[in-house]
Parts: sequence; structure tokens; C-alpha cells
Amino acid sequence: MKVLLSWLKDYIDINETPEKIAEALTMTGLEVEEIIQPGKNIKGVVVGKVLTKDAHPNSDHLSLCKVDIGKGEPLQIVCGAQNHKAGDVVPVAVLGAKLPSGFEITEAKIRGIDSYGMMCSKRELGLSEDHSGLYILPPDLPLGEDIVKALKLDEVIFEISVTANRGDALSHLGIARELSAIFNLPLKRDPLGDDSGDGNISDYIKIDIANNELCPRYGARLVLNIKVGPSPDWMKERLENVGIRSINNIVDITNYIMLDIGHPMHAFDYDKLAEKHIIVRNAKANEKMKTLDDAERTLEENMLVIADEQKAVAIAGVMGGLDTSVTENTKNVLFEAASFDTVTVRRTSKKLALQSDSSYRFERGTNIDNVPIALNAAAKFAKELAGGQPVRGICDVYPKPEILRQIKVRTKRLNKLVGINLTTAQIETYLLRFKFETRREGEDIVVSVPPYRHDITQEADVIEEVARLYGYNNIPETLPAVASSLQLPTALQKLEKRLKDHLVSNGFSELITYSFIPANVDSCFHEKKPLMLKNALSEEMKAMRTSLKWNMFDAIRRNVLNDEFNLKFFEIGKVFHTSVAGMSEEHTRLSVGFCGAQNCHDWHDSKKEFDLFTIKGFVQGIADLCKVKIRFAPSLNSIFHPTMQMDILLGKNPIGSFGQIHPNLLDNKKLPKSIFLVEIDLDKLAESIETAPRMKAIPEFPSIRRDLALLAPVTVAHRDIQKILVAEGGNLLEDCHLFDVYQGKGIQEGFRSLAYSLSFRDPKKTLTDNEVQPLVDKMVAKLDKAHQIKLR
Amino acid sequence: MSEQHENLLKQFQTEMEAAKTTADVEALRVKYLGKKGEVTELLKGLGKLSIEERKATGAAINQIKTKIQSSIEESMKKLALQELDAKLKAEKPDHSMPGTYPNIGSLHPVTQVANEVINIFQAMGFFLTEGPEIEEEYYNFEALNVPKHHPARDMQDTFYLESDQVLRTQTSPMQVRTMEKIEPPLKMIALGKVYRCDYDITHSPMFHQMEGLVVGENISMSDLKGTLIAFVKEMFGKRAYRFRTSYFPFTEPSAEMDIQCIFCEGKGCKVCKGTGWMEILGCGMVNPKVFEAVKYDTEKYTGFAFGMGIERIAMLRYGINDIRLLFNSDTRFLKQF
Repeated sequence: MKVLLSWLKDYIDINETPEKIAEALTMTGLEVEEIIQPGKNIKGVVVGKVLTKDAHPNSDHLSLCKVDIGKGEPLQIVCGAQNHKAGDVVPVAVLGAKLPSGFEITEAKIRGIDSYGMMCSKRELGLSEDHSGLYILPPDLPLGEDIVKALKLDEVIFEISVTANRGDALSHLGIARELSAIFNLPLKRDPLGDDSGDGNISDYIKIDIANNELCPRYGARLVLNIKVGPSPDWMKERLENVGIRSINNIVDITNYIMLDIGHPMHAFDYDKLAEKHIIVRNAKANEKMKTLDDAERTLEENMLVIADEQKAVAIAGVMGGLDTSVTENTKNVLFEAASFDTVTVRRTSKKLALQSDSSYRFERGTNIDNVPIALNAAAKFAKELAGGQPVRGICDVYPKPEILRQIKVRTKRLNKLVGINLTTAQIETYLLRFKFETRREGEDIVVSVPPYRHDITQEADVIEEVARLYGYNNIPETLPAVASSLQLPTALQKLEKRLKDHLVSNGFSELITYSFIPANVDSCFHEKKPLMLKNALSEEMKAMRTSLKWNMFDAIRRNVLNDEFNLKFFEIGKVFHTSVAGMSEEHTRLSVGFCGAQNCHDWHDSKKEFDLFTIKGFVQGIADLCKVKIRFAPSLNSIFHPTMQMDILLGKNPIGSFGQIHPNLLDNKKLPKSIFLVEIDLDKLAESIETAPRMKAIPEFPSIRRDLALLAPVTVAHRDIQKILVAEGGNLLEDCHLFDVYQGKGIQEGFRSLAYSLSFRDPKKTLTDNEVQPLVDKMVAKLDKAHQIKLR
Repeated sequence: MSEQHENLLKQFQTEMEAAKTTADVEALRVKYLGKKGEVTELLKGLGKLSIEERKATGAAINQIKTKIQSSIEESMKKLALQELDAKLKAEKPDHSMPGTYPNIGSLHPVTQVANEVINIFQAMGFFLTEGPEIEEEYYNFEALNVPKHHPARDMQDTFYLESDQVLRTQTSPMQVRTMEKIEPPLKMIALGKVYRCDYDITHSPMFHQMEGLVVGENISMSDLKGTLIAFVKEMFGKRAYRFRTSYFPFTEPSAEMDIQCIFCEGKGCKVCKGTGWMEILGCGMVNPKVFEAVKYDTEKYTGFAFGMGIERIAMLRYGINDIRLLFNSDTRFLKQF
């Protein structure tokens, strides 16, 4: 909201600098975002008149002008602009002048001709970006006058951000009231008008409020024989300086009063109101009305309208109707000022997607006592500015006058909550600066809250008023003397931290991606039917992810398209599912993505790509890190290559899966085939983490090692071979692992060579070859019998 | 020792001096001490001598043998070391070639900043809690004193789900959920993703907030100030700060904390819009209406709460000029942290 310093001075004699005022407002809760002073940096620019404009003897595009600046000889000025002619009035920067850019005007010789000043464009004066030519001024400005004064550029405009609780501050009066409290200055106010006039209002209009809950007060004032026309310059300037377009004197009066004292108003063309009977009532279902902005609105029963006997003529507090609005032909005008239920105005304005300066203020609460003041001010202005004849009196329907809220503030409580030590008298002084009425009750104070302070409903609210005048920065600094109840990190929190450290150490970069993904991604990326946002920003951000896989694939995809081919990423984040009861369920998952070469910086073998077994080993590493036993099982996820994938089981429960992205999904030639994704449910993993393992004794006796090189048909799985080795090895077989696989030259087609390292140990004595050899023989025999596997 | 013996020793010594390699020395060992070596031959000849002569000559030959032996051993050791050294030196690799161990990865800048913030508050005795990202309207708004149809709802543009739940717009619902479960005194922080319908270079529809809450008897605004000043000092170093009055529905009194601009040190620059200050967090004394919602005794307990945006701090800290970079997963960006 824009506020003019000159307008504030109608209410308060304040002589502080704009900067000091801005800081004071900011510190006490009304943040000044900007101080606009259009003329601040213009020094020595005056109004001048071009007397002659001749061609420059040495240039095609320059002109040589004589300019009258009201005193002394006309100045000779060389000028590069083209849009002026003799007789034009323009801003002239005389020698010694300083422009907002910092440029200082000195005597100059331009193409051999002396120039004693500069005529300026709007941009050179810092007024706009317009640099198409000189700023041609109105012809009637006094020559030689300082441009800042002549164009009224000395105004100070504050751009204030008013928080949602401070409806009372949405006017010049409101801001002045705040300044009066902060600087402890009196608030003055000239009478804004009275209810005098001719005739009697009750002979002209009848008002009924059908729903007093939603409209506690409705008042109207009639002004006859007005002449609709432009507003006077002073009013236009004030309105335009705060960003309101001047329409005509009647509309401007309502806007001006709203900006002045904060009360929104409306003006009806009295002659268009049927039966001169105003009824404030709920809208009828599907009732239609055309609003001022020429849009047809369909209303609902919980909306409040102002109606005459035939139709709705305004949506209460939101916008007036077009049919009864003031036009240039209007003769008699009925001003409305009222008080409406804040929730109804807000709901209506949201529902109709129609926000106005009026609805904005009604939502935040207005001053019900302002109804007659606003109406009398409107009548006074209509008489002065539009030649109207006010009818005497206000038609003011206010069946249940509001009683001021009483709030007790306890001195002890205030001091305890803020951490200061004020006396009751000091507290009272602060409250009086806010024009609160106070009454002592022992050490406590009972405050009557003014009708415009809707934000003050409880003791804490009053305490804030005292604290902010006292100054937050004067409150001492201490540390809380409480020890919290102890809440240790959860298993999941610990697991997440551990995994992140592990993954970063192993070369993975952490991603954070959006929780919402496009609704139309390939269905294989949605594990279940996703929850949808009702008001998504776009179709690309509509579905709550049910898995992290799309985000990971998308991240890899976009990096590959940037020619980054070797990628190792991880993300820990939530996925969202619908529970049986229709509510949402959230699970934390780990997602890991691999693309391209395992280690592109390894010049030993920079081409080696990720394969299923690197990923399987990576997953096993995660399990080992967490000290849990996992198993791998065949899987059929449509997102993965049909044979290059596995499920991860913890006990009998699947906790995740991994695999190579299905080649079908590689929709760009740049995408390498070797893209692998892993996804693991961390909630489930965290539940199973073993706390403290029991120590096993370190073996006392040596082991015996044997290597077995086997020639096996390719159809026989490693798992089947290992099963036999373990079974035949019995208790003495301590370890058995695959250490070499070979297939190709030297090996018969349909066969492969598998080499196993076996380690035997007896915990109670030193083993001998005589004990081991029979076991190995049994293994070999069994392998041959079961699978026709031979020793190599 | 006879002249013959002395000559033999001298001859050995001359030859030894000429020996340059372990192989040369080995050849000498064979020549003198080998099965048919000169010293060995001398020893073999002892049998022909009388007992007396044998004794004296034997002693002399043994003396020579010992000398030769120790001389050979010494040279052998010395030359072996020299040869090893020469051999190792010959193995010199191209030290300018790069290392091949896989590169280290990176934690997301948001995570790094969040960890730092968490560490500071945990050191001050706060515990970390979490909560759902899809929230009931009650926890996100009503319980925090933001009734339906209140203009304060305009402060946060909310995403709604078809289930009529919302994506939480702030981390504050976790305060309510924690207070429902735990009796005071408590000091908690909550970290997490929050969502608002907003998308430009300084607004992301998803971002991270950290929220703090302290509840106990006699907790005052001065405690709030002391705590947050301690935090800011750890996080941003010692610098000027100020508390301004503000408005949040769930705190009363409410404040915003500014610190001296970290780019211009308060002189005024583009980042701080010439004010010399930058807003860093919102805070206030818990509104009694929030305590009523969780059935805390509003007379007995008071408390303060605060909240801050993690992305904003990360952007300030790392000089990131577009918030969307944080969520673009661009490896060229992520690898820098």
C-alpha cells in the first residue's frame, strides 16, 4: 500500500526524515518496503521555454536552441533530441545542475558551438524509462521555477507492506495513528463534514437489513443535483500518487475517503434504484448480477447482496452492480457506507475470484464507527466538488451497537512473558499512546479496545502492543532455563545419516527433487494410483510420486542431454500412497541411480560400465552397512529390463528392487543402455537394524584352503553349485566363494568355467589334508552326478 | 702369516676393490671360499703338514678366511642395497598422472546447511522431530490459529489434494503434533519439506523449513532473543542483528529477525535492497490459542517458536542466484558442493 507523507500530515505534525519514519514503522510492524521520492536527486533543473530551434552548423542531427529560463539572457543550448519545437516548455538543467544519474551540467563545446545547459528527457530526470525525446511540459508552468516544485516531485511516498492482521492500518489515518503512538505525537483531525442538508433522508430512502449477522450496520446518504465531472487536481494527484486511477469526481470521492480513513464506500445512481428501497439480504441461489467490471456473476445463497425491490445492485463489500452505477448522466447519488461480516466478504470474493480494494479492507475488518463519518465526508465532498445538494441526515441502520472489547492485562504476566520489568503506570502510558481507554484494577489494567483494532482479542495481543512500543531491541537477552524432555534420534534418522555419509564417500551426489511429478508419465513409474493435487501449478507437477524412480530417471536423462554421461546419484525422500481408508501414507525411500562408466577417471579401465552385478554388490554393501541379512529374488518390474532386475527381500518382505532401465524407456539416442536404478524402503530397513552384534571368537587353529576350477553347463546356476559345495562341505567348510568366471576361447560351447575358493577349519584342532580331501572328493562327485560338472 | 698368505690376502683385497656388483663379489666368494677356492685349497693342503706346522698355518689360513668372509659379507650387503636402490629408482612412474580412486560425491547444499543448523540447535539441547508432508488442514491451519476464511491464509498459497488434505505449507504442524504427544518442558526443532503454489527465481513450490519450539514455565521473549542470537552468531559469525515486530497467527507477540547484510556488511547493496539488513527468520511467543488447541495450561506454560527457510540461507551462503537450480539435479551444479 502506498502512503503519502503530505497526506499523513493532514493528521499529524511530523517533522522526522522519511528514512526515520520508515525505520520506525518497519520496526514496529508495518514494514516500509520502499521510500519513493521522485525529485530527490534532481538539483538545479528549471522550467524553460524553447524560443528558437535552428540547425547546428556542424551537425545533421543536433539542433541549436535559445531557451528562456525566466531570468537573464536566453541560454544557448545544443540539443540532440528531435521532438521539440519553438514554443515548447521543457525541463532545463542549467550549469551546475545535478541529475539522478549523478551527471553534472558544465559549460560544453559541442561540435564547435558553446552550450550552456541541457534540456532533459523523462529518463534523464529519473521519472521513467522514456528517452524518446525531451519531456514536453504543460505550457502554463512558470518559467524558471524549480522542476521539482513545478511538477510536485517533492512528494514522499512510502510503500508499506501491511500484515494480514492490521486492517486498521490500511489508510492514511491508520498509519498516522501508528506514527502518533510511536513518536508520541498528538493526532489531529479536521471535521470531515456533518449531516446537514435540505429535506429529510427518511423521505427519500428506506433501508432494511434482512441478515443482521452478516451486516451489523448499513448507512446511506443522498446528494441531489450533482454534476459528474473530473476531480480537482489536488485530489487527482493524491489518488494517482498512491496508484489509483482518477475516474470522475463521485467515484474519486469514495476512493479518496477509503484511502483517507480506511472505510470502503459505494455510490449508487439513486434514480436507478427500484422503489427507493435498499434491502441487505442473502443472494438467491443462482441469482445473476452484472458487476462494475462488466462481468456477469452467478451468486450463491451464502453471499450477501445489496438489493432494491427488484434485483441485487451490489455484492456486499466486494463490488457494485453495473446497472445502478454512477455514470456521467447521474444526477442524484446515494452513498453507501456499511459494515459487513469479514468471513462472508472473503468467502464471496474468493468464490467469485473478485478481489477489490473494498473486499481487501472488509476482509481485514473496518471501523464500524466510521459509517456516519464516511457518509458525511462524502456529502461534504459531493457538495464542494460536484455542486450537489446533500439531503439532511443519514439513513443509518445499526440495530445492535457494538460494545467495546474489554481485556485485562496483568502487569506480572506482561513482565514475565516479555522478560522486562515495567510498572503498571508505564504500561498504561504505552497503551494510552495507542488511544486505548484504560482502567486500573489493582496491579492490572483493563483495556477497552478501539473498534478498529480487530487484531486485539486477548491479553497476549495487548502485551505485543506494549512490547513493540517499548522496542523489541530493548528487551534483554537470556537463555531459557529449561532442560527438554529427552528425545533421541529415531532409527530412521540415524539410518539416513549413515547412508548419506556412505553414499557420498562412495562417489554419489545427493539430489533433492520435487514430490510432485507429471501425471502422464509412463504408467510403469507409478507404483499405485497416485494422489493428485487439485490446484497443481502445471500438469508437470500434478501427481504425488508413489516411487522415486521417475525423478531419478528424469535427473539422469536431463544430465545426459547436457552431455554428462557418467553419473552416480542418490536421493532420500518420501513417496505418497493412498491407504485403505483413503487417507495418505508416507514412506521414506532411498533411490540410487547409476549411469555410464563405473569410474570414468580410472585410466586403467575408464570404459567399464555398470552392470547388474556391480549394482547387486552395491545393494549387498548397503545391507552389510546396516548389518541386516537380505536376499535377492527374481522380479518382474515393467520399468526394468526383463532379466536385468531383482527384488530385495528382508526376511520374507520385499523392501526394494533394482535393475536396468527398460530399453523401451530410453527415448533419446544419447541415453546409454547401462542406466540402473535401486530403490529401497528405509522405513522397513530401519525397523530391522540390529543393535549390538555378539562377538564371535577369533579361530585358534589354522584353516586349509582349496581352489576348485569347475567346468559347468551354462544352464547350471552358481547358486546350485554353491548349494552342493556347502552341503557336502559340512561343518568344516568355513567359506566358499566364487572368484573367477570364464566363458569363451578354450571352453567348450555351452559350458563355462567357474572357480571357487574353499576354506576349511576345525575350531577345536588343526585340520589335516587327510580330513579335507574326502570332503572335496564328495563335492566333485556330487557335482558330476547332479549337473555333469567336471573338474577342469 | 707367511708371505704367500699375505699375498693371497692382498690379491683378494685388490680384486675386492675392483668388484662393482654383487655378482662380482659372488664370483670372488667362489674364487676364494668356494669348494675349489683358493683358501679352501690352502686348507686342503694342511693335511700334508706336520702337527706343529698345521696348527700355526691352519690358524693363519683361518685368519685369512675370516677376513675374506667378513669382507665379502659386508660388500655383499652394501652392494645389494645399492643395487636395490638403483632398481627401485629405475621404476619411476609418471607422477603427473591422475589418481584413479573413485571421486567423492556430494551432499546437497540444502542438506549441508540443514545439518549445520541442526547441529547448532542440538548442541543447545533441542531434539529433532519429523512429521507428514501431506497434512490435515487442522494441523496446518486451525490448530495454529489460522481459521478458514482468515486473510492470514493469503500468506501461504496452499496445494490441496483430492482427499482435501493439504501439502503442508509450513513446518509448524509438527509443533502441534509434538505437543500433543509430549508434555512440557520441551525444546524441539523440526525440519522438512514444505509446499506453496509459487514458482519463480526466488520461490520454489517445494522448499525446506526449520522450525523450533521451546515450552516451559517462565519462558520469555528475552529467552527467545538469547537463543536466536546464539544461533545466528554460530551460523553467520558475530554481526549486528535486530528484531522487528511482525505477524504470525501462531505467535503473539511476533517478530522477524534481521541480520546485518552478509554481502555489504550493512552499507546497503542490491541483495539487501539498500537497507543493510537481511531477514533471516520469523519468531514469536507461542499464541495461547495454540496451547489451547493442544490442551497445555496457558497460565502455567509459555513458550517461543521460530522458523526459517533453509534454501534462503543456502542461497546466501553459496551465492546461488536462482532457487530452481537447487532442484534441477544438474550434476554440474551439485558437484560444486
